[in-house]
Amino acid sequence: MEWSVSSGNSRYKPTLEDRDGSIHVSSMSRDGMEVHPPDAAISADSQQGRLSVEVDGNQMIAHVARDGDSWWIHIDGRAHVVNLLEQGSGSASKDEGALTAPMPGTILDLMVKEGQRVREGQALMVLEAMKMEHRITSPKSGEITRLHYGKGDRVDMGSVLVEIGD
Amino acid sequence: MPPEWMEGSPRPFSKVLVANRGEIAVRILRAARESGLVGVAMYSDSDASSLHVEVADEAVRIVGDTLDQTYLNGSAIIEAAKSCEADAIHPGYGFLSERAGFAREVESSGIVWIGPPAEAIETMGDKISARRLMIDSGVPVIPGEEVPVEDGADHLGNLAISAARVGYPLLLKASAGGGGKGMRAVSEPKSLRSEYEAAAREASAAFGDGTVYVERLLRNAKHVEIQVLCDSHGKAVHLNERDCSLQRRYQKVIEEAPSPAVSGSKREEMGQAAVTAAMSVGYVGAGTVEFLLASNGDFYFLEMNTRLQVEHPVTEMTTGVDLVQKQFEVAAGLGIGFEQHEVSQNGHSIEARIYAEDPRSGFLPSTGKLSMWRQPSGPGIRVDSGVREGDEVTIDFDPMLAKLIVHAPNRGAAIRRMDAALSEFVALGVTTNIEFLRNALNHASFRDGSIDTDFLDNSDPRELDGEEYDEGTLVAIAAAAQRLGLGSARNDSGEAVDEHTGHQGDPFRTLRRTFP
Repeated sequence: MEWSVSSGNSRYKPTLEDRDGSIHVSSMSRDGMEVHPPDAAISADSQQGRLSVEVDGNQMIAHVARDGDSWWIHIDGRAHVVNLLEQGSGSASKDEGALTAPMPGTILDLMVKEGQRVREGQALMVLEAMKMEHRITSPKSGEITRLHYGKGDRVDMGSVLVEIGD
Repeated sequence: MPPEWMEGSPRPFSKVLVANRGEIAVRILRAARESGLVGVAMYSDSDASSLHVEVADEAVRIVGDTLDQTYLNGSAIIEAAKSCEADAIHPGYGFLSERAGFAREVESSGIVWIGPPAEAIETMGDKISARRLMIDSGVPVIPGEEVPVEDGADHLGNLAISAARVGYPLLLKASAGGGGKGMRAVSEPKSLRSEYEAAAREASAAFGDGTVYVERLLRNAKHVEIQVLCDSHGKAVHLNERDCSLQRRYQKVIEEAPSPAVSGSKREEMGQAAVTAAMSVGYVGAGTVEFLLASNGDFYFLEMNTRLQVEHPVTEMTTGVDLVQKQFEVAAGLGIGFEQHEVSQNGHSIEARIYAEDPRSGFLPSTGKLSMWRQPSGPGIRVDSGVREGDEVTIDFDPMLAKLIVHAPNRGAAIRRMDAALSEFVALGVTTNIEFLRNALNHASFRDGSIDTDFLDNSDPRELDGEEYDEGTLVAIAAAAQRLGLGSARNDSGEAVDEHTGHQGDPFRTLRRTFP
């Protein structure tokens, strides 16, 4: 099984083993390359939703919650999301070049047209949600190949708004 | 029956409808119960199982899908109060709290309004009339002017003339805006049009009005506000200042009391100006006079918030005054009960606003189910929350989930306590700003108290990024959690159900269980 951390793009494949009552990582690959496995010993905690984790000899508690294929982990004072990836899917970031709505809302303004070239960081549209306006900017430089919605349209979270080619 | 402490008061009441939701409704409903009043929550259908409904003694449903039909529907709220025989209404903050018309309707229907007189809301709510009154009362104001805006007219020309007179950089404020909505900074003439249009849109979406005020934008200033408390017998005191300089797009992020930039004599001076402002408008109740404090020590009136503030807890922690209880007392016609010289300033308090938003994607509001919500606790830690574990966070309402407030002997200790409490705050299933709050709190400029109101908007986002956690370790924890069957689906009773067998509980966990 392959995993990725939400804030990163690498794909990890750990091999787990049970030893001395806890789970260890015997080997791990990152993007197909063998890497040094983390020195971690993980075991169940007596409380629901918690794990006992020993990292590099330091004992700590991790809080864990699952949402589908996403695992939310709170450890050492910070929260992270780790995703279980579908086998054989291409890259960790799906639909490269397609910009999706980060939340449901209404499109207030469109600043670009199909066929137009845009720079990375250029404002593409204004989305209104929770009474605030949010500028949607281009994640990369390229050409707008497809605009899926027009001014005034309501969009759901995750809907593809714009497709950007190279 | 009104509670005993209200005996002999001119306007006794016994049952309070809280016309709000979220953490502030919870806060007020708890205060009501504590002081022997019956607390009534109101809710729309999407809020039927929310925390504020759970903590209330009674709850009334308001039918409707939109905010205008529910939390902004004054006549329906007054009807609801009558139907459950509530004899007082507390508006909280936001929603109808600063609508003079609503205050008037409440009072004319014979219900006690736990808030200032309608005329005070009206005068202070209109930025232009507030400014005129402050000038007449000798309270310093920022250079600026009003621009009349009428539908369909060419208002941009007039706006540009006024803007040139006031000077750039400037701030456009929709007269009926607030809380950062309908307010835009304009650094140069060529962006005047687009920023004006955005401000007008936001203001009409949020408040149903579209008039504009042009004001000089002061750089390197701090946002320092004074809490005031006035009774209906003409007495007014101030409860020191709060520093709310850590803002993002005019939304406060972290607030504290006292301000690291205010000395004892400056506190006296600003406090006196705030009391003058409140008296000039015939204020009654708890209110806040906001000032911009320039680096040379000059301060200017920004606006008066004629309601309880989100950040009121830091004042409560440092002065020991329960502001909601005082609101009840003053609304019942009782006196403030203490003198200005009795107001204390004990230690340091900081509040951090926990938002459902993603700092990594431009602070867009985030949604989802709070599958885990564990609040920190311990000495000097207070959490005012509107949510609990299992709640669904939607885009229907403001994304503020809770406020974390700490109190410690001094500022350094309060910062350390806040950092420790934030690190213990477990909120999973919905992306929050908790890590961002820690990073901001730990920034050298916040620690030494030198930040101004532009600090967050001007800082490099990378400077506010936290340490990266080793990805391999996180993957190991997730994979181990999956192997151990953690976070599996829950049945209705909240017990974990094994996805494969459908049985409750983990047999190994049961076997491992130790008994005292």
